[in-house]
Amino acid sequence: MIVIVDLLLMLIDLTYSILSAIVQTVLRPRLKCIDGELCLITGSGGALGRLFALEFAKEGAHLVLWDCNEEANEQTAKLARELGVKVHAYTVDLSKRMSIYETADRVRAEVGDVSILVNNAGVVAGRRLLDCPDELLERTLLVNCHALFWMTKAFLPQMKTTNHGHIVTVASALGLFSTACVEDYCASKFGAVGFHESLTHELLAEENDGIKTTLVCPYIVDTGMFAGCEIRKELRGLIPPLDPLYTVQQSMKAILAEQQMICIPRLMYIPFITRALLPWEANVATYRFMGGDKCMLPFIKNVELKNVNGHVKS
Amino acid sequence: MMILIAEFFVVILKVLWAFVTAGCKWVVRPKEKSVAGQVCVITGAGSGLGRLFAKEFARRRAILVLWDINSQSNEETAEMVRQIYHELDTPITKDGPVGGVEEVPPFQPQVYTYVCDVGKREQVYATADKVRRDVGNVDILINNAGVVSGHHLLECPDELIERTMVVNCHAHFWTTKAFLPKMLELNHGHIVTVASSLGLFSTAGVEDYCASKFGAIGFHESLSHEIKASEKEGINMTLVCPYLVATGMFKGCRIRKEIEPFLPPLKPEFCVKQSMRAILTDQPMICTPRIVYMVNFMKR
Repeated sequence: MIVIVDLLLMLIDLTYSILSAIVQTVLRPRLKCIDGELCLITGSGGALGRLFALEFAKEGAHLVLWDCNEEANEQTAKLARELGVKVHAYTVDLSKRMSIYETADRVRAEVGDVSILVNNAGVVAGRRLLDCPDELLERTLLVNCHALFWMTKAFLPQMKTTNHGHIVTVASALGLFSTACVEDYCASKFGAVGFHESLTHELLAEENDGIKTTLVCPYIVDTGMFAGCEIRKELRGLIPPLDPLYTVQQSMKAILAEQQMICIPRLMYIPFITRALLPWEANVATYRFMGGDKCMLPFIKNVELKNVNGHVKS
Repeated sequence: MMILIAEFFVVILKVLWAFVTAGCKWVVRPKEKSVAGQVCVITGAGSGLGRLFAKEFARRRAILVLWDINSQSNEETAEMVRQIYHELDTPITKDGPVGGVEEVPPFQPQVYTYVCDVGKREQVYATADKVRRDVGNVDILINNAGVVSGHHLLECPDELIERTMVVNCHAHFWTTKAFLPKMLELNHGHIVTVASSLGLFSTAGVEDYCASKFGAIGFHESLSHEIKASEKEGINMTLVCPYLVATGMFKGCRIRKEIEPFLPPLKPEFCVKQSMRAILTDQPMICTPRIVYMVNFMKR
């Protein structure tokens, strides 16, 4: 009997959540206030990280900025301070677990407890699997996926004690469906999505309702990270690389509305669904049509040229 | 512009055709390919699914190369395989071949064992070199080895988390780099990734396992796209996503008791038999049981 009642309740829950998701898509949801909160952003020296820092600063959050590039990180810190918030910058190598833990201890001692964690840092090897040095493959996996474990272990316990916090994982559309020639990136971003979802389930199961999570899955963003990547030219107008500021603004809207997940642009939900729905050959046919199967080749050529030029210069 | 529209219609037709062929395969089972005499590497062959895969391939007269970190259980699997080879070598009756095997290869299949920690890149490469010297070119690679830490994230020692990631995900990179080049050269090969339904959707308490299995799937799919784009028709890839298998790996894991009869932990033999069918018919992906496809779709 109880099973039947539970089943009915579940169906009601399901209908309600689908309806509220539809309503939220149409109406603008209420955005939470994060004035005075402490927000940690990884990869803050890069294009997206910097924009995130500035957006959070505009909302009044104080910042802790982590990046492996000290100079770029300091530049972000300078810009953020101009918006009137307190900023602390640290140089960290996210591929090293101990570096993460040590710096996290320093943050706790010098700044305080982090309530918003934005796991944004990301790298890509940019070579085809069989041409790629193993160190680069490992680096992608360590920075894009393993680091999430260490960051969460470092900062979640305090969030649980106060039952207050928000963990944002900036994954990628390539964490929901894949494409050729970026095996390391796809593996690491799929892993990031898997980790994030499992963590979210765990937080829900433990009824830590004060701790929110948001998964951000943008399509290719025009930051130079995937410079050269292009789909079929007739469709390029329909799905151009995203403008970084637009990406960050959409993400901020989702984070402040405590939305669980956002795909940017909304069109990305389509390959996400078709991957599960269509037989494999059908997926391959659609990818070929979009130019998705060959889209990374110019990007990889670019990386090769940069390396060759680099060698020539030195 | 016209070409775009024309191509769009072709794609729609291809999508529909893919549904039709997939549907037909449900009804009319396609013929299973022969793997007699082919070299098959299985990681994690010492126990669980790996051992069962070894026995199935042995029954089909493949040459087996067994990798496991545990020497004793690996040797036990090898003994079982030798037993199967021995049983297969009983004389053929005068009426013809026995057991549906079309022809008896004029050689004696063998089993080779290697102790290898697939989480360690150098060991994978060194063992792959040994295999090439001792056995020859590898035709089938089964990336089956898997571990789980079994602790909640915040209570889990970091070494165990890392271990799950390197064995379940990183190892696939190294084994593929070791064996794919020759497969591409010969335009012949089959790579099987044994992931998990927990690589398609997740649950609480197994963050390391989910991350690693999602990662393995991301790797597999990206590689599949690349091979498809390179038009090496002779290389196949199969992704196996079983639901909970009763091998002891996830002992104690239970879903709600009233639903359990409908979705019990899988019998390992059933899981492997379904997977073998998929592998030998060059199916790109298999979820066991089929209801996992439904959950995967609903998750979206």
